[in-house]
Amino acid sequence: MKFKHIWTVFKKEVKDISRDKRTLLISIVVPMVIIPLLNSFVGGGMEKLQKDINENVTVALSDKSNAPDIKNLVLNDIIADNKSIRLIDTPNASEALKQDKVRLILDIDKDFKSKIDSGKPFDISISYDKSRTKSEGSIWIVNDAISKFNKKILKERMNQLGKSEEFLEPARTKEINVADETKTSTSMLAMFLPIIIVILMTVGGVPAATDLMAGEKERNTLEPLLTTKPGRVSILLGKYFTVTLFSFITVIASVVGLIIGYILKPSSLNMGTGQHLTGFFIPLPALLISILLAIALGMTFAGIQVALSTYARSFKEAQVYLSFLMIAAMVPAYANFFTQPSDIPMYYFFIPIINTISAFKIVLGGSINYFYLIIAFVSSAIHVMIALGAAVYMFSKEKVLFRS
Amino acid sequence: MVNVDKLTKEFGKSKAVDSISFEIKKGEVFGLLGENGAGKTTTLRMLATMLKPTSGAAYINGININKDPQAARFCIGILFGGETGLYDRLTVYENISYFGELNDMDKNTIKRRIEELAKAFEMEGYINKKASKLSKGMKQKVAFARAIAHDPEVMFFDEPTSGLDVSAARNVHDFILECKKKGKTILFSSHTMSEVEKLCDRVGVIHKGKLIDIGSIAEFKRKYDNESFEEIFIRLVGGKYEV
Repeated sequence: MKFKHIWTVFKKEVKDISRDKRTLLISIVVPMVIIPLLNSFVGGGMEKLQKDINENVTVALSDKSNAPDIKNLVLNDIIADNKSIRLIDTPNASEALKQDKVRLILDIDKDFKSKIDSGKPFDISISYDKSRTKSEGSIWIVNDAISKFNKKILKERMNQLGKSEEFLEPARTKEINVADETKTSTSMLAMFLPIIIVILMTVGGVPAATDLMAGEKERNTLEPLLTTKPGRVSILLGKYFTVTLFSFITVIASVVGLIIGYILKPSSLNMGTGQHLTGFFIPLPALLISILLAIALGMTFAGIQVALSTYARSFKEAQVYLSFLMIAAMVPAYANFFTQPSDIPMYYFFIPIINTISAFKIVLGGSINYFYLIIAFVSSAIHVMIALGAAVYMFSKEKVLFRS
Repeated sequence: MVNVDKLTKEFGKSKAVDSISFEIKKGEVFGLLGENGAGKTTTLRMLATMLKPTSGAAYINGININKDPQAARFCIGILFGGETGLYDRLTVYENISYFGELNDMDKNTIKRRIEELAKAFEMEGYINKKASKLSKGMKQKVAFARAIAHDPEVMFFDEPTSGLDVSAARNVHDFILECKKKGKTILFSSHTMSEVEKLCDRVGVIHKGKLIDIGSIAEFKRKYDNESFEEIFIRLVGGKYEV
């Protein structure tokens, strides 16, 4: 194995692949353009939906509640302080709900006035359509308005009794969030970013891996290459590093895409969650370990991709194997999607893919544990060696190389 | 120059090449003649160190291919039949230069050598064009140039005219004769009688992995008392002659 030969193969492969429009499209253009657009559409769409739910709540009274005094109660006492809620006058409330003309129907006790006066509760039924997001999402807004109305009546009653409101509240609860703002603001980033990186790592190397191994077999360029001076390991490593490089180019292009999206529309980075990402700080050692882990993951994937592509007889066969690899990589990527950074158990840091995602989570989530990061790094280095070993094994097997 | 000693290759239980031995002298064109599946390509792949022999040895320019495959590869140039195996997205210059670099030539030598080859094969007009833009004939010339870029002493041709039309096949023949004129040692595999008769100094007939006879065309004709080499070959592989 000679470095000079590895470098010669690497240079040629990078030049060759860089001239392939398909690879450039998948590795660079798609992540740089599609990611900000996707975030913008998904994020923008969710934001718009949430805004619409919060600001345009339409309610109607049920047919039997459609009386002037009830209308008056709703307009002047329940929704008077909430400008998001509008009472719609309709002759057939049920039909209006079905046709999405109103989101909720209020059915209010006819005797509400006498019951309020006698200190008894009166009933308000809220009908909604669970199949409509906006209808279900509006319930809490109306419930909130009713709750405020209740408090107002309660206050009046307590005043009449000469007591304060506190009389009805023997214990008062107060929730205190001990997580610092950095952790809270980056938790969404800790959820999404590792998965995006893992998915892009698997996608990014696919065109290069397919072209450089199976493609070379299919185009009959492999045999002349094998008759040149370099040993097989040198040729393989040149190709392997090219696949690794293109995995990273995809990730970098995607990060650039996220930044472009953020510059064009800052809310695109919260992916429609409405959560704001405030400035957060990652210590340099943790950042370096994370970058090394990302590199190790890219190298592991590259090794497996090169091994599978070497095994494949043709371009198409390689594409099938590599598609399965992408799906297989997504399973562990999503497996700990909802795990909070501080809840990640130690053994996660030994498992391929999950270890890198977990490390990213704890770094981005602000729960940095260097012991765990080192475990993830050592296990990743072992995974790289195993993947590379598999690629070398495949490339040295005559039965695999000359499979027909 | 090339010594093959009881070379054997087994794939599982089947013997693709069964203890073949022959010698090719410097400047000689040796033809390996056999039907499809006779073991020609496997023999050439072993000599080119792409496949490891199960047993036996071979020496190229005195180098044992089992012990020092890298050094052995440096002494050989190889041309495969059918597809030219060029990198379509690279230019003609880059295609040849890549193989020169892989064979440890320095940049100045590569440049000089490509200029020589471009002139010899009349490729100056398209030396900076991508291989994908070339005609089949042009590609073939590039493949020739690439195979001899590092000026190897031994050339292997594995059914080089397979799938080619008459004029393209003629180009290959001319190239082989040109290599012979330059004193290169040539091993040439084929199943076409006429080209073997036209090009080879000596021929080895291979059948079911075994080398069943070796000699010059004239020796074959004399030995089997037949002027038609094709008929001799058919009889040999058909088993009607005791060898």
